Amino acid sequence: MVRWVKRLAAIANSIFLFAFSFYGHPGVAIIGGIINLVWAFDEKLAPRIRRLLRSWALMVNTAFLAYGVLSGGSSMLALFLAGGSLLAWNAGLFLERWRDPPVFIQYQYLRRIGVLSASGLLAGISAVALQGHLTLSFLSAFLLMLAAGFLWLRIISGVLKDRNLG
Amino acid sequence: MTRSWSLVTSLCMILLLAGLLLKNGALLAVALPYLLFSLAPFWRSMEEPNLEVERRLQPQHLLGGQPCHMTLSIRNAGSDLEEVFLADVLPLGLQVEGDFTYHGVLRSAQTETILSILRGVRGKYEFSGFRVLANDLLGMRRHEKFVPSPATLAVLPAMERLWRLKISPRRTRVYTGAIRSRESGAGVEFFGTRAYVSGDPLRHLNWKAGARWDLLITNLFEQERVADVGIILDARSVAEARADGESLFEHSIRAAASLAEYFLREGNRVGLLIYGNMIEWTFPGYGKAQRARILSALAKAELGEHAVFKELEHLPTRLFPSESQIVLVSPILPEDVAMLRYLHALGYRVLVISPDPIVFEKRFLPVEEFTALAERIARMQRGATLSKLRRARVNVVEWDVTTPLHIPIKQAMVGIKRWSVG
Repeated sequence: MVRWVKRLAAIANSIFLFAFSFYGHPGVAIIGGIINLVWAFDEKLAPRIRRLLRSWALMVNTAFLAYGVLSGGSSMLALFLAGGSLLAWNAGLFLERWRDPPVFIQYQYLRRIGVLSASGLLAGISAVALQGHLTLSFLSAFLLMLAAGFLWLRIISGVLKDRNLG
Repeated sequence: MTRSWSLVTSLCMILLLAGLLLKNGALLAVALPYLLFSLAPFWRSMEEPNLEVERRLQPQHLLGGQPCHMTLSIRNAGSDLEEVFLADVLPLGLQVEGDFTYHGVLRSAQTETILSILRGVRGKYEFSGFRVLANDLLGMRRHEKFVPSPATLAVLPAMERLWRLKISPRRTRVYTGAIRSRESGAGVEFFGTRAYVSGDPLRHLNWKAGARWDLLITNLFEQERVADVGIILDARSVAEARADGESLFEHSIRAAASLAEYFLREGNRVGLLIYGNMIEWTFPGYGKAQRARILSALAKAELGEHAVFKELEHLPTRLFPSESQIVLVSPILPEDVAMLRYLHALGYRVLVISPDPIVFEKRFLPVEEFTALAERIARMQRGATLSKLRRARVNVVEWDVTTPLHIPIKQAMVGIKRWSVG
């Protein structure tokens, strides 16, 4: 399950990078996209190379999204690339430690990483929207706000519960 | 915190700084997911793992090649651990069948059991404990700890069963045993005759002698008692022969263990001295407890190289009761003859069990002219050394280590009713 999440996130990163190429940086974007595709199916590689590829892919994606944003690319695309990169990177980290994880651990992990990624993306989207780079209808903005509020409440209640137990 | 956390935090900081320096709001917005990932470890409290580990070895003493079943019970005495990795820090040289690590979740008060089978060559293996790594599920935070769980596993040397090795020290102890004491009394071996005195059992009357001398003659029998036996194991590196990963010293240990087992089985009081890097002395004693002590000492015996103990001349003779039996297990060097002569002069009965280093090494050498010549020279030198010993009335058993020890002992005993020379 986590393996497929990681694969899908890495493939999504490639698509975002290929999409960046329409903004006028085809060479770099295509190379980044290929690196992400290799990253998506890196199970056959040696563990050392896999570790190196994971860290480098995250750094390359971050560098590219920063460059894309600075050269006038889409902020939303950069934000999704950031979210996807972090998700694939952390899932890779999880799979390195757990060779054959039990299903309940996978669920627990996916819930946690899902909440974290969604909160990050929502916070980013809110920030982009606040800067006026995103125009949303009232209903979309309302639903987005509700979702973000729900996620934040969950996180905060989880933290409080944890602290009380500790 | 882990390296992964450092990577994400560094990227976050770079994006935030770049956004602030270039006054670019979009970069700041893009940095937000990174910021959340960096803060993730602080959202949940993570206590240090508090684990109780119990290690059971069954048996704790085993013979080489025998399996030892190790059971590890790990109990989480602290709060829930989302991901814990435990690795047993195993002593070197031990082979493990099964798992000696644990990776998974450990809830509070949960107990996990790990079973494995251990095998090892002769030696003493000290277990220290476990290395524990506790992570959060995202792999951003980590606690590292060492949980002590000491235990000792002794792999005892292999032994073979010996029989009919007769010794006759000058002095025996008071208890009844199997060694002839040169004193008349209750026994089974004929010792002599004397004139009958009132109270002698009638069944001991020697009718033939009485008829000849026209007297009542009584048979006397030799008392059989236990004796003090001191086994000396030569652990000097200079006397060692090693070829193709096999060591002559291991055979010497096997011989020492077999001899100790034999003499203790016969009821004698046995002590062990390991003479090598230092002097390791196992005080003389009787029975199964002493057998365990001697085997335990042999299990951890190692070759040593020390200028003081390079020759046998510093052998502490006072450790052995006077006029007792000494059994030296050694390949024997030419320089050792003087000390063995001296021991004999002091009144000790000396028996040398000498594993043959020439036969041992020859197996691993190519068959060629020079090998044959070298063997002849070495054989002559060894023959001269052993001949000197025999002339000094030291009993010598030459042992080809490829054969069981009881065979050369049996051969050496042929024609000798009793090793009583001297």
